[in-house]
Amino acid sequence: MTGHATARGNGFADRIAAVFRKMLFHPTYRLLLLLAGAPVNLIVYAVYLYRKAGHGYREAVEETTNRLLQSGLKDRLLQEAREQLVRKHRFFGQSVSEERTEREAAAIAARKFEAALKEQLAKRLAEDTRLQLSFSETYRSLAGNPLFLALSLVIGWPMYLLMALYANPYSKYIAERLFMTVLVIFGVAFIVFTILYISPMNPAANILGETATAEQIAAFNQMYGLDQPYLVQLWDTFRGILTFDLGKSFAGNENVTTAIANKFPVTLTLTVISTLIAVVIALPIGIISATRPNSFFDYTFMFIALLGLSIPNFWQGLIFILNFSIKLSWLPATYNPDNWLSAIMPIVVLGTGLTAAVARMTRSSTLEVIHEDYITTAKAKGLSRRQVLWKHAVGNALIPIITVIGLQFGGMLGGAAVTEKVFNISGIGSYIVDKQFIPDIPSIMAGVVYTAITISIVNVIVDLMYAFFDPRIRSKMKQY
Amino acid sequence: MTNPSLTKQEVGFRLKSCPEYGQASFAGIVTIALAVVLLLNSYQTATGTFKSGVLAVSVAYFVFALLQLAVWRLIRRDLVRAGEIKGSTRALGYVLMLSLLTANVFVATAAFQLVKRKKNAAYTLAVYALLTTVLVFAVTAFNLYKPYVANGFLPGMFLLIATAVLQLIALILTALFADRTVLPGWMAVVAGVLILTAATGNLFALFLGLLLIARLRDKGITSGSKLGDVVERLSRSSTSMLGLLFITFLLTLAITSLMTFDYSFAIDNNYSAILQSPSLTYPLGTDNFGRDLFSRIVFGARISLLVGLLSTLIPVLIGGALGAISGYYGRQTDNIIMRALDVLYAIPGILLAIAIIAAFGASTVNLILALSVGAIPTYARTMRANVMMVSTLEYVQAARAFGASDFSILFKHIVPNSVAPMIVKSSLTIGTAVISTSSLSFLGLGVEPHIPEWGNILKLGSAYLETHAFTAIYPGLAIIALVLSFNFLGDGLRDALDPKLD
Repeated sequence: MTGHATARGNGFADRIAAVFRKMLFHPTYRLLLLLAGAPVNLIVYAVYLYRKAGHGYREAVEETTNRLLQSGLKDRLLQEAREQLVRKHRFFGQSVSEERTEREAAAIAARKFEAALKEQLAKRLAEDTRLQLSFSETYRSLAGNPLFLALSLVIGWPMYLLMALYANPYSKYIAERLFMTVLVIFGVAFIVFTILYISPMNPAANILGETATAEQIAAFNQMYGLDQPYLVQLWDTFRGILTFDLGKSFAGNENVTTAIANKFPVTLTLTVISTLIAVVIALPIGIISATRPNSFFDYTFMFIALLGLSIPNFWQGLIFILNFSIKLSWLPATYNPDNWLSAIMPIVVLGTGLTAAVARMTRSSTLEVIHEDYITTAKAKGLSRRQVLWKHAVGNALIPIITVIGLQFGGMLGGAAVTEKVFNISGIGSYIVDKQFIPDIPSIMAGVVYTAITISIVNVIVDLMYAFFDPRIRSKMKQY
Repeated sequence: MTNPSLTKQEVGFRLKSCPEYGQASFAGIVTIALAVVLLLNSYQTATGTFKSGVLAVSVAYFVFALLQLAVWRLIRRDLVRAGEIKGSTRALGYVLMLSLLTANVFVATAAFQLVKRKKNAAYTLAVYALLTTVLVFAVTAFNLYKPYVANGFLPGMFLLIATAVLQLIALILTALFADRTVLPGWMAVVAGVLILTAATGNLFALFLGLLLIARLRDKGITSGSKLGDVVERLSRSSTSMLGLLFITFLLTLAITSLMTFDYSFAIDNNYSAILQSPSLTYPLGTDNFGRDLFSRIVFGARISLLVGLLSTLIPVLIGGALGAISGYYGRQTDNIIMRALDVLYAIPGILLAIAIIAAFGASTVNLILALSVGAIPTYARTMRANVMMVSTLEYVQAARAFGASDFSILFKHIVPNSVAPMIVKSSLTIGTAVISTSSLSFLGLGVEPHIPEWGNILKLGSAYLETHAFTAIYPGLAIIALVLSFNFLGDGLRDALDPKLD
């Protein structure tokens, strides 16, 4: 059957078959593979069953079992297991009933017998080439046939897509990471929705006021689908998140997605700019501190960094307003998108914590790296201080720093609510805070979930950056 | 002045290996900085004059800063010339102790370290225990200027004096006897008394009592307990001890204020004293309802500490347990627990807290729960990594070979050996919890508005930023000081517990 295949086609088929076999080992991928290529797999399975029946596989199993049973192996194993158990119980001073010992011994013996049977069978199969049959082997021999390959490509293309993803370690890693992100996002939606669902608050009464009648409240609940069962509402929410249509907000009856689309860019722009500025400031400070550990310079900067970590955003914002807006009148106190001067204070306030965290992390991570052996080697080679530091130390010290930046960016986006309130910025954070008193469920849902989605995407990018920058992770991925 | 036979490295080594030298320069620089800040604050731009009270304090700080820097110079000379500090220089420490009268703990602690030649953890703890009580007494004494005082004020003050005297005696005894390898038997009484005084909230007294008891029981046989080791290392870092000093000071103040402070100044409106500037009656001024900011901040300390500690303790326990189970059992258990926590991890802490408070309403209990839930994943991850590392060690295999159950292996052998990073992490995140608490209160989502929590005080004060900025500045300073203290303590604990040093 395989005779017609050309050498090139055979090599390709072998590679596909190898990926197929490898995927079958992994429980999740096995399931996906079997499902994605169900029609192909059915054919392969039918052929497999047919060949197995034809080649006397079952007879071989029966024969080996009988041979082993006749040799008295089972009784010997049982006896052995029983003795071991008795010795073990004596050693630990446990008293165990006869019946239980017997049961445990039988279980152990059965396990061992099974293993012995498998071993014998494998030996026998190795001797007889006709019996070397497995599902993946059947697929390999079938894939050698160009006709079958073409047919299976047509009817089982999702399976080949999956295999293509699996074959390349990078694409496999990215696909797995994205899949996890999607799961996490649905998890976030589920948690936030559930929290708001079991809330004892009554948005209808809060919006319609104390005087609302029961009918009015019922009508309100019906209008926004609040009278639906939990699962229906949850399903609607999931669908809304995917289709970017989360309905109307309770107060003001505005489209939630439009509102979020208006507010989100403001917050995102401010946080991204302050992240960039923070990194530009923090990296040199951290590196210089690390190259002069325990100096006056180091102590001063690390003290300032710790101070930066300890200042509450809102207080810092108030002090800035007091000094730069009220006393000195240099900068406007409230944010105005048309005036870039008004963005300076919010950006500085947002970035303080990140600057401090990144500077501290840069210092400790660079300090750790410059005590490694390869730095000594680089110095011994006669490289200049500058070259050692920038080429060998900083590159490797960057990895934990990227982690901190990723984590802090998330915190910053989430914590922006406070800064936005202080500077009167109409961003996503202050939107959520404004809506929570009702509580306006669609608005809060949308705000939290889309923020979480943004953070998840940033984290995916950070993870992928590792995979491409860190040689250690890269080499680990090759065996992945 | 320098000895020509010494190389630069030798001088550097001598200076670095002498803790008093570093402490002296630190105290001197901080005091000068504080003096400058006070001087700037004493100047009134409107009238172009200086406030006499603040100016006097500033001058006092300058005097002690100069004294301290002179002593620093002397220490340097002694070290370069003789390699050790002379007795006469050490005696100057007694003069510097007077700086305690100006509440300058930086110079005072450096002075206490300077006068003692051979230092040990017990001495350092005794000094800090006494300092805490004295500071609390001094701050409480401001109540004397109030029109009336709480019923428990006099007995409370008397108890504080008694505590201070007992701790002073304990300090002298530890200074005299704690250097010996075997402590005299009657030290048990001192330890007992110290633990009794710890009822005021004085953590230093508690640790000192426990340390003394551990050393008494040990009878000099072993080289010391693990706790003793940690305390010893922690006591060498002056910043983390100062951090712990401020935390203990607030804790003691929070506990003793139950007796010595009158709650009515903090919550009752007094329309005859609205927005007063700082004076002796109202040390930090009053707010727009005429409530005394000083009393409010002291009461706020109670809430901030309570919320900070609880919202750290709850996730440490829950996250720690989940992480331990996940790391120990691995495979599917690990997968399920960690994936579920990944979901929580994806929501920023403040945002999750806002969502939870939106659903269940703003109250202290909800705030604690909301902050706790968001912090669970971080602790679970830390614990899981530790447990995974520890469970591969030989003694765990040995325990398993002896037939110990999974439960006892996990909680008797693995968890006690993997808590160190958890302690460090939690001390660093209490600060974050304090900031989150006040931030949420500032947004109106935290503690109920009628309770004088620091964020609430700030929220009220922020409306008077233009005219009466102090109503927003003082509570902010309190928050920063507390968070900074926890951060210093956390850094110190990390160095003290760092397994790499062992």
